[in-house]
Amino acid sequence: MSTEQEAIKAKADKGPFEAVVYGHKHIRERFYRLGLEFAGAGAKAFAKAKAGQFAQIELSTAALPAAEKIPEDLADAAGRKILLRRPFSFCDVSTEKEKTRVDILYRAVGPATLRMTTLAKGDSVSVIGPLGNGFSIPADKKTALLVVGGMGAGPLLHLAKVLTADYPDIEVTAFAGAKTKAELPFEKPLDEISQQVGFSLAEFARHSIESLVATDDGSTGYEGFVTDCFSKWLGQNSISAKDTIIYSCGPEEMLARMAKIAEERGIDCQVSMERMMACGIGVCQSCAVECKIEGSSETIYKLCCEDGPVFNCGELVFSS
Amino acid sequence: MEEQIDISVDFAGLKLANPVFVASGTCGYADELADFMDINSLGGFITKSITVKPRKGNPTPRIVETDSGMLNAIGLANIGLDSFVQEKLPIISKLAVPVFVNVAGETIDDYVAVVQRLAGEGRIAGFELNISCPNVAKSREGRLTAGGLSFGTEPAQAAEITSAVKKAAGEKVLMVKLSPCVTDISVIARAAVEAGADALSMVNTFTAMVVDTEKRKPALANRTGGLSGPAIKPIAVYLVNKVYNEVAKERGIPILGLGGIRTASDAIEFIIAGASAVAVGTASFIEPGCAVKIVEGIKKYCAGHNITNIKELIGCLG
Repeated sequence: MSTEQEAIKAKADKGPFEAVVYGHKHIRERFYRLGLEFAGAGAKAFAKAKAGQFAQIELSTAALPAAEKIPEDLADAAGRKILLRRPFSFCDVSTEKEKTRVDILYRAVGPATLRMTTLAKGDSVSVIGPLGNGFSIPADKKTALLVVGGMGAGPLLHLAKVLTADYPDIEVTAFAGAKTKAELPFEKPLDEISQQVGFSLAEFARHSIESLVATDDGSTGYEGFVTDCFSKWLGQNSISAKDTIIYSCGPEEMLARMAKIAEERGIDCQVSMERMMACGIGVCQSCAVECKIEGSSETIYKLCCEDGPVFNCGELVFSS
Repeated sequence: MEEQIDISVDFAGLKLANPVFVASGTCGYADELADFMDINSLGGFITKSITVKPRKGNPTPRIVETDSGMLNAIGLANIGLDSFVQEKLPIISKLAVPVFVNVAGETIDDYVAVVQRLAGEGRIAGFELNISCPNVAKSREGRLTAGGLSFGTEPAQAAEITSAVKKAAGEKVLMVKLSPCVTDISVIARAAVEAGADALSMVNTFTAMVVDTEKRKPALANRTGGLSGPAIKPIAVYLVNKVYNEVAKERGIPILGLGGIRTASDAIEFIIAGASAVAVGTASFIEPGCAVKIVEGIKKYCAGHNITNIKELIGCLG
């Protein structure tokens, strides 16, 4: 290196780190929970991971499941040689004895997540992260409402834990929806879920958070979109808009409906967006998210990886 | 042994400590990759494309993964010349390695404007002329100027733009980045070199399409994108060798080889085929420090093959 020039300094150590699988649970259907453990620099970096941040995981070296275990609808995709890392948010982060454990809730939907299912205890994977901006918790809020659509459960479970542990004065209620009962990414038997708010989802109940479940087809809980269920609940409960914040993660059409509800009621709302990403570190410009420019009808593209994935929903332009 | 190996190369009058660049569009403006590697340990750096005005880029999806590759249709999203000068040039000026600024536009005037503004900047070693971006299409006066792609596919236009930019570039090195989407790449290479190109970089991505069979629509919002990654490497190696033999060698014009390089042996293939230097592109997305590892790997290859000077390898294909 030249002595005349000052080097461009690194801002943070983001890896790639080696993580070791400490546990891997098949929840049911195609839902899994992968437990990764970091030591050394990786443990330090991920100990500071915020709810809503994500990591890029290298899965190209993981093995495919045996042919008979590959679901028929994924058989064609399964043979594809994957190239890019895949982004995942965290459903839990914990640190003990200089090791950091990061749990990831995922669903096998393509060639990379299919490979991910074969990771076993003791296997190691290469991880870059933590990346992006997580959820922020404004000081003046007294109520937090978590609204989950399908696989959006991950980062909101992490946030639920953080809110309960570090913000005891904030009252939290969770709403979780999916198309059908089978697509709810939760562990407990979901047959007897009532249409009332209660401790029906163990994942939230363990943080003393009550929840309400909705399915589009009514196979359990409220029949209809989780956004409709949430709207109805808002109508029945007198909450102070100013003291409340909504956190949401799920499919984009759902987030668009959440944005509308939040705007109509004047409630602050942060949503976690999803985009196809190549790098996850602000270089490739793939993960553009259309945003409003204040005082202008023009829009700009921000990057989901660097400016997000969490955005204040008021700044987003939803295409749907 | 490895200490005695000389892997420096001469590249159009520039002395590079090693032959490894990071490719335009895969390394931003240098600060993004600083968390992952020491860019000063590379041979050189190439910025993301700069256009006169800022560009928003294309709607999403902008990328889709393919077998051993990916398509991208970013649409030359960039901060524009003014912001580049104010915000990024000071960062790039801290680099100790030669820096090339990748220049794009829709008209010759666009390209010339960017190069004229930057030609006086001492810390810029040269320009990489992007006449081969497949992802921006705009009809102007009845003529399709595809983000420069027509400059890269018609020899007369390639010559015209190279010549105009060369004048604006002054003493700076002018490298022209070639599109592989042509009938005979040597025709375009020759046109660019005869019009004043000091170096060639090749190849840019291959125009390609992925169809979503559920929606029966293209997977990308832009419909088509540029294919990159290991999938294109053998074609890129072939094209480098072709241009080396038919155009570059006799004229002493160096080639920057790129297309799917992710290991040192990939890089060595390009060098043996005729490239004086190589650029790592898509692989940096997966392994941001990949280019530095390739520098080390090249040294190891030389040590293992009794090569004391990498120049022996350039174009040595038997």
